[in-house]
Amino acid sequence: MAETEERLRRTMMFVPGNNPAMVKDAGIYGADSIMFDLEDAVSMAEKDAARALVYEALKSQDYGNAELVVRINGDDTPYYHNDIKAMVKAGIDVIRLPKTETADMIKTLEADVLAAEKEFGREEGSTHLMAAIESAKGVLNAPAIAAASDRMIGIALSAEDYTTDMKTHRYPDGAELEFARNMVLHAARAAGIAAFDTVFTNMDDTEGFYRETRYIHQLGFDGKSLVNPRQIAMVNEVYQPTAKEIANAKNVINAIEEARIKGSGVISMNGQMVDRPVVLRAQRVMRLAKASHLVDEEGNTIEK
Amino acid sequence: MEIKQTALAGTLESSDIQIMLSKGTDGITIDLESDVEKQFGDQIRKVITDTLAEFDIDNGKVKAVDKGALDCVIKARTIAVAQRALQTQDQPAWEAF
Amino acid sequence: MNNEIVDLHLNDPQVRKTWEDFLTSLGITDFQSQETDAIDFTLGIYEGDKLVATGSAAGNILKYIGVCNKGVDQGSRFNTIVSALISRLFQQQIFHLFVFTKLKYSDSFQHVGFHELAHSDVAALLETGDSSIDDYLDAIPRVADQTNKRVAGIVMNANPFTRGHRYLVEQAAGENDVVYVFVVNTDASLFTKAERFELVKQGTADLKNVIVVNGGDYMVSYATFPAYFLPAPDQQVDYQTTLDARIFRDRIAPALNIKTRYLGTEPLSRTTGIYNQVLQRELPPQVAVKIVDRKTTTDGTIVTATAVRKAIADDQLDSLAALLPPSTINFINQHLESLQFRIKKGMNINGN
Repeated sequence: MAETEERLRRTMMFVPGNNPAMVKDAGIYGADSIMFDLEDAVSMAEKDAARALVYEALKSQDYGNAELVVRINGDDTPYYHNDIKAMVKAGIDVIRLPKTETADMIKTLEADVLAAEKEFGREEGSTHLMAAIESAKGVLNAPAIAAASDRMIGIALSAEDYTTDMKTHRYPDGAELEFARNMVLHAARAAGIAAFDTVFTNMDDTEGFYRETRYIHQLGFDGKSLVNPRQIAMVNEVYQPTAKEIANAKNVINAIEEARIKGSGVISMNGQMVDRPVVLRAQRVMRLAKASHLVDEEGNTIEK
Repeated sequence: MEIKQTALAGTLESSDIQIMLSKGTDGITIDLESDVEKQFGDQIRKVITDTLAEFDIDNGKVKAVDKGALDCVIKARTIAVAQRALQTQDQPAWEAF
Repeated sequence: MNNEIVDLHLNDPQVRKTWEDFLTSLGITDFQSQETDAIDFTLGIYEGDKLVATGSAAGNILKYIGVCNKGVDQGSRFNTIVSALISRLFQQQIFHLFVFTKLKYSDSFQHVGFHELAHSDVAALLETGDSSIDDYLDAIPRVADQTNKRVAGIVMNANPFTRGHRYLVEQAAGENDVVYVFVVNTDASLFTKAERFELVKQGTADLKNVIVVNGGDYMVSYATFPAYFLPAPDQQVDYQTTLDARIFRDRIAPALNIKTRYLGTEPLSRTTGIYNQVLQRELPPQVAVKIVDRKTTTDGTIVTATAVRKAIADDQLDSLAALLPPSTINFINQHLESLQFRIKKGMNINGN
């Protein structure tokens, strides 16, 4: 669960793992997380080539502060073990397991990743994990999956396979995903990890994209998976805190600072004790405000 | 290592390089087509040759069509084509990565 | 999703129509079944519902490549489709590819690694892959001091090897130090390429200065000259044979020091007649053309392989002795059943 409190994960951009132009440029769009895909975006004949390409890119390209994620092929494929080895050797931040249905799948992955860390001399525990939930079984087991390993940093809903499993398809209003979204989100929050919403593929429906993003923001998702860099700014806009939220957060931050200077064990504001969730939210708002360039590094409002 | 069969990796799309590797008897020969042959031809050839050396491939004909690939892409495609030509793509040579 | 490579199943009438309409809009309008039936697979790229690029493969030949560049970088879709065709053929273990294209697209193919074998004013033939015409030429046997010898070349289909072929080779062998007999390397009619090659070898074994070689992909085969095997409009035949002649003139003859090409007269085949005219136009002065009159039987019948195949089909083997050398007759007697079975199964025995 490392870093879950420090990182923003508003946008996780999917990058097809066998496309050099997209792999090379993935860092320039400002996504919070970049997810290189070795799974669905790569045909069977190119699995080996994509693995080598992502490996070499990870070893040589500068992706700035983005969190680097790789979606490996599932453990029911012949590519699974080599994908893990290559990505652990490359020092990937997060391995994303597709079609996760049980906590045992995560436990197995954790053991495989540990073995790879030992084989290639990586720091044990340095490779984080996340799970994609893509079936009814996965949704129902989401709480156990989210809590299956200390390496877990998040779970994501993947709606294309999930809706197929549910014998439906995606609709504009998203009613078919309501239960799954809430399960995934609750599982993530209960385990103290991040929750990622599914992709929105119709690039022509900007209004629909905003509607869906506002909705998952309202529910409490950390962010959304994306297939096109153009969607990054749109998500960030939705996640941008309001002036009032920033003002409140600043008050909390000031109160913390005051308590620190006074050496007080209790943070108080306007005569009320400030408890931990309020502190965490204030810190998150300030990170969002900084990421949205509404405040500078010291927390001072930037006049526009 | 002996090349078992002719292999291909990479594409002709922008930022990629298509590399073909087949049996040869005369060391590593490289037929390179690239818009930046004059400026970077030697560098491209070096990445290919060095990577093939990691696989102990001393003889082979390479035909490469570069579409503006970075070194890391050239290396990755050479790894892929070498493993395919040696038919070892299921047992990657991790030391070459 | 947009811009992904998909298989186009031309058996589906709707897909076929979309494909033909798209190519027609790009000026490709020849969809005769003899061309399209040979297609092994077809790929396409859609932008939304619109087909924007396609390409096919027939054996090791790329065909029907068409690309719309509207709204994208010039050449990007062309590269994508050619790249996908090459990858697919490699997966099928086909490592040596050809494309026969309009001259104006030769550069585009060279830009993606193809090498031009020859071009005329209108068309070009290019190859790519793990072997090339240089490899082919390197593998052909030479004699000592060949650059100072009189060397001739003959190209034949020999389907099968007749007394007519023998006569042509004898004439050349008598007038030269070395004669290369190139046997066309295509399985398109009654005798397989291996059988034809073997019969030419046996039928010329006593002529010590004759070297029989496989014509490879560089002589009157489907790649260089598809119309040869098919009734085709004269102009198309001319275009394609021009390329074939220029490959011989510019690549093959210089490598082997061939100074003369021997041809048989072609009183009976219109296509081969055009071919011979083109050779006479294209080969000199680099390569002299020597035309040898057709061998006739004692009663004046012209010896043709077509007549031989008809005799096999009609079970009239008595007539063959006058037409064929003993080695070919032996082979036919030993394999009569199998040859007649091939004819029954529908093997085309007409043509050359």
